[in-house]
Amino acid sequence: MSGPLAASGLSVRYETPHGSVHALRHVDIEAHPGEVIGIVGESGCGKSTLVTALANLLPANARIDGSIRYNGVDLAKLDAHRQRLLRGDEIALVGQDPMTAFNPVLTIGDQLVDFQHHRKDLSRAQKRARIAAMLGRVGIADAERRMRSYPHELSGGMRQRVAIAAALLTDPGLLIADEPTTALDVTMEAQIIHLLRELRRDYNGIVIVVSHHLGVIAELCDRVYVMYAGEVVEGGEVDAIFHDPRHPYTQALLACDPARFRERLDRLPTIPGALPSLTQPPVGCVYAPRCGRGFAPCKTVAPPLVKLTACHAARCHAVTS
Amino acid sequence: MSPLLAVEDLSVSFVRSGLLDRLINPFPLPGFNVVDGVTLSLMPAETLGLVGESGSGKTTLARTILGLIRAAAGRIVFEGRDVQTPADFRAMRRRSAMMFQDPVASLSPRLRVGTLLTEPQVIQGLPMPDRRAAAKALLALVGLPASFVDRFPHELSGGQARRVGVARALAMKPHLLLADEPTAGLDVSVQGDVLNLIGELKRELGFAAMIVTHNLAMIRHVSDRLAIMYLGRLVETGPTQEVFSAPLHPYTATLIRSEPIPDPRRRSHKPAVTGEIPSVFRRPSGCEFHTRCPLVQSRCKTEAPAYRPMGAGRMVRCHFPLQTGGQEREAVSRASANQRGN
Ligand SMILES: Nc1ncnc2c1ncn2[C@@H]1O[C@H](COP(=O)(O)OP(=O)(O)OP(=O)(O)O)[C@@H](O)[C@H]1O
Ligand SMILES: Nc1ncnc2c1ncn2[C@@H]1O[C@H](COP(=O)(O)OP(=O)(O)O)[C@@H](O)[C@H]1O
Ligand code: SF4
Ligand code: SF4
Ligand SMILES: [Mg+2]
Ligand SMILES: [Mg+2]
Repeated sequence: MSGPLAASGLSVRYETPHGSVHALRHVDIEAHPGEVIGIVGESGCGKSTLVTALANLLPANARIDGSIRYNGVDLAKLDAHRQRLLRGDEIALVGQDPMTAFNPVLTIGDQLVDFQHHRKDLSRAQKRARIAAMLGRVGIADAERRMRSYPHELSGGMRQRVAIAAALLTDPGLLIADEPTTALDVTMEAQIIHLLRELRRDYNGIVIVVSHHLGVIAELCDRVYVMYAGEVVEGGEVDAIFHDPRHPYTQALLACDPARFRERLDRLPTIPGALPSLTQPPVGCVYAPRCGRGFAPCKTVAPPLVKLTACHAARCHAVTS
Repeated sequence: MSPLLAVEDLSVSFVRSGLLDRLINPFPLPGFNVVDGVTLSLMPAETLGLVGESGSGKTTLARTILGLIRAAAGRIVFEGRDVQTPADFRAMRRRSAMMFQDPVASLSPRLRVGTLLTEPQVIQGLPMPDRRAAAKALLALVGLPASFVDRFPHELSGGQARRVGVARALAMKPHLLLADEPTAGLDVSVQGDVLNLIGELKRELGFAAMIVTHNLAMIRHVSDRLAIMYLGRLVETGPTQEVFSAPLHPYTATLIRSEPIPDPRRRSHKPAVTGEIPSVFRRPSGCEFHTRCPLVQSRCKTEAPAYRPMGAGRMVRCHFPLQTGGQEREAVSRASANQRGN
């Protein structure tokens, strides 16, 4: 029952002994079936917080505000039981380290059978047949033998394939991959990118890919949201984000990527300064302490989200449509 | 000019063992060659990038050079002298420094930054009238505030911990710096900071560096020469710009083509290589890359290629290096390059 996803005015605070961490502030995003959405930004900017909120898996010390609507239903208004059902078979999350997703003492096959617990209509044999087919689809040769393996017997790249297979076995309408290639070598990364791209041919749900790696986002996504210090500072079609970035942070982030330069640079470009504290976020623009373009209102007035085209928007005083 | 460091035919073998074994036995018994016949040299003030997939033996090679792992065979020459006995290695380590792969884990959690920074000199018995002042000077060198002397490692961000690692490594004014994945886990902006810092200090202090990494996009900008490792053997070495613009070994070409390009208009259509790196415990026959090589021929499966000079300071271990053979091979390599669209 795949359908559109929309978060609006989404904020998340983590309550800690040292005060509350404002990990996410007034975030608006949307995604439609068939789209691959990218979430990009530096470590600590709130990417994982955003997708765990979407998957309804935030830890107990998190306080959430705003709304998340999936296929017309407000997730916050569902009771705990319905939320759990939704999490189990509508929304699937693939993490950075697939080892933690598996139970080390059970075989891959047994675990993948358990992943299909919602399919009461299928016999165990039918479930195993589905698994074998799905493992084949994610590029694992010799699926029967692999089903008898334990997680530690697989390489990192193979575990990530199995994690993707496990996620797809639940027929999710929303597949979220949080840093799916960060723990892998570049050759395996290229293979997983290719796999995710192939899968979208016959998968009609929404895919959300989180990465701090601009190359991965450029290879995979249709639309991209750029995050900085808990906010979405720019969103748009992948081509606009990479070829016509408008927010000063997006521009700086792209300029820093050494992969863009073929000729040797004597100094790599950097972004001077550091992330602001999320315990006391700046009152004005979150990027103001580091922005080279800042002017009078930036330090005191939070910039509005300026719409540039139907789907390109940036949160900056200097941007005009 | 004679090299600062020369490694000749160096091999390291490990017995196939479990994790526990590895923990209690840092000098394992002879077994499988994890580093096999490596020959390389480093000139004073030069930066060498050592690149290869996970498990290819990069860390093992770096640690063996410093005598932290015992070599099974081969020779290490540092500043013109053979390094053989434990005393030789200690003398070499006094003139070199290592930045380890995991910076926070390699800093003792209970020591404050000030103590960590001056510990190496104190251990070496160097005179230090004012430890705090010495630590503050080192912090200034790497651009951190003096107040950091009282911090604990877990109170540092990833980038700050690397800076402390750089300061600690350089405290001894080394002639050689071995940096293992100095920017792994760092964001691009912070990565640039750490590498610029190493570059500046290199120009100022004039040490040579060997940087071990997976990260091709980064190493292209910071190294003079590259050494590419596969299953414990060097498969290609040469000047960085030449290796990037015209790789000779199909494996090098594969690594370069696998790197995702941050431009949606230049998406790759197909992965450059399938399959994964085989285990060193089951080293393929002939050329060890033959199980994944897009250009494999029947000879490759049985006959191991020699590591041979190709002119202009380049070496390659392949029967049919790219960019050299007749039109046929050129056509094949062009065809595989064309898999990446316009
Ligand atoms: N003490 C040990 N005993 C047995 N095998 C070992 C030991 N240390 C490393 N190995 C094995 O040696 C090989 C090379 O390991 P090494 O850590 O040098 O690789 P690496 O290239 O640094 O990888 P990475 O990029 O993941 O850091 C691997 O197969 C590894 O499992
Ligand atoms: N369970 C938690 N309790 C307190 N703070 C947290 C928790 N999880 C994350 N944070 C903080 O929230 C911010 C955003 O984290 P995260 O969403 O993991 O960022 P990213 O995935 O972009 O690296 C960071 O400052 C992080 O330290
Ligand atoms: S609002 Fe001002 S400080 Fe913020 S990004 Fe725009 S110009 Fe820079
Ligand atoms: S020797 Fe053959 S298999 Fe090995 S890299 Fe060269 S072409 Fe490929
Ligand atoms: Mg994260
Ligand atoms: Mg290593």
